[in-house]
Amino acid sequence: MKDSVGQGGGLYAEDHRFEGMRGYFFRQAWQNLTQNPWLNAITLGTITLSFLILGVFLILFLNTKGLLEDWGGRIRVTAYLGGSLSQDPLNRLREKVLGFEEVQEIKYRSKEEALKLLEEKMPERKELLRGLPRNPLPASLEIRLHGEYQNSEGVRSLVRKLRGISEIEDIQYGSDWLERFSAFMSLLKVLGLGLGGLLLLATIVVISNTIRLSIFARREEIEVMRSVGATGPFIRAPFYIEGLLQGFLGAVLAVAVLFALFQIFLTRVYEPLKDLLGNFPAQFLSLEQMAAVALGGLVLGLFGTQVSVGRFLRL
Amino acid sequence: MIEMVRVSKAYEDNPNALFDITLRVEKGQFIYLLGSNGAGKTTLFKLLYAEERPTAGEIRVNGFEVARLKPRRIPFLRRTLGLVFQNLKLLPRRTAVENIAFALEVLGAERGEVAKKAAQALRWVGLERRGNCLPSQLSAGEQQRLAIARAVVNDPVLLLADEPTGNLSITAAEEIIRLFEKINLRGTTVVLATHNEGLVAAWPKEKIVLEQGKLLEASAPPLLAGG
Repeated sequence: MKDSVGQGGGLYAEDHRFEGMRGYFFRQAWQNLTQNPWLNAITLGTITLSFLILGVFLILFLNTKGLLEDWGGRIRVTAYLGGSLSQDPLNRLREKVLGFEEVQEIKYRSKEEALKLLEEKMPERKELLRGLPRNPLPASLEIRLHGEYQNSEGVRSLVRKLRGISEIEDIQYGSDWLERFSAFMSLLKVLGLGLGGLLLLATIVVISNTIRLSIFARREEIEVMRSVGATGPFIRAPFYIEGLLQGFLGAVLAVAVLFALFQIFLTRVYEPLKDLLGNFPAQFLSLEQMAAVALGGLVLGLFGTQVSVGRFLRL
Repeated sequence: MIEMVRVSKAYEDNPNALFDITLRVEKGQFIYLLGSNGAGKTTLFKLLYAEERPTAGEIRVNGFEVARLKPRRIPFLRRTLGLVFQNLKLLPRRTAVENIAFALEVLGAERGEVAKKAAQALRWVGLERRGNCLPSQLSAGEQQRLAIARAVVNDPVLLLADEPTGNLSITAAEEIIRLFEKINLRGTTVVLATHNEGLVAAWPKEKIVLEQGKLLEASAPPLLAGG
């Protein structure tokens, strides 16, 4: 101490050293995590479970949405015409229907074509159909909708417009199942959001509680740090790192477990039902979505830490 | 160094914890802060290191306007101070040398620098052979010396020690006083709060006397007693 004590000034008196201290912060954060392994394991487990449940909802929602879009792409509205139209009125009708924003494509099918199609579909009744005194089948317009209108709302809107056209006698559109499916999706969305909100809130509470206990466990050190002149950000930093780590690890662990569960689902459930689902490819989360889940973990960790640091670490 | 002008501190349950204190302590002084329990010694210390804010008055410590100091500037005031608490505040799960090193680590000192200065501080207080002991393995006197080593390792301008000889034997208390004198001789200002009249009689120094929150006596020429 020959050249140290009593020289005056105080070492680092105006020093804001923060750079190069990351190692210290991470060591402290790691110490916080390991000094109470059971508590931290429970916290991590809770975060993982929360994100797992959210992930299941997300995958279910995304795949249902994909399936709906896939099926929606096959929606056709068929408008049956009242009688035979000559070329000019038919062209005007086509122009009019094509002018509707919902309509992407129109295919005209004459009475003759309709009969021919029926004969092809029912070859065993071919003779019977040919024996009819006159062709009973109407001419029709088979209408395909633009992507954004391939839903029950879009179909209903188009049908309303078609009903205002006098040349059109009847309209067929099979959207009952579509409406039911849309309702199911809305329910899924509401459930996912409601449950998700609750789980996220619970996660914040769990993280905040763990950080509170960490602060409590280190209260003596914090007192010493304050008394020797450690700055507020310096004292808080390890707790933020701890919370961020917990949130991030919990989210990443959830994605890993979710992936394993998804693989089991593919082999046990999806493969046997593949044909029924129209060979729609079941999808896992994209890289961006997985990154978003990890980011969500970080954000929750930050919030959870903020709650406790704000309340229990007044410096 | 320390300048207090008409400083008062009121708590809800103690409206006159400190009342109208005006005093000055110059650089290099060794001074006792005397008074019985509840006289206001600890409160006065807390005001000096900005743990508490005064209800009225001005306080200047080492160039810092303490009464108006922004919270984010408080750590920088404390880096110019060495604090020895009545309850020592040693970290029970860290060894003696780790307790000292901790005070440097949290200020961002390099590892090599930490090790060197912590070892120097241990030698300075005569605990070089006890560095790997936990505080619970040290005697009361050794624990006190360890707390002093931690307070001076950051080379403070001013050392505030609250009842450092309170629970010690006469021999151990004498050792501690000698240690403070040694620190003072190196240039650090020392303010030592005590209610131990015997100690003051045996080691006479300049003194500030508090009684029920009021300044009763300020013996040294640089001290300006009264309002």
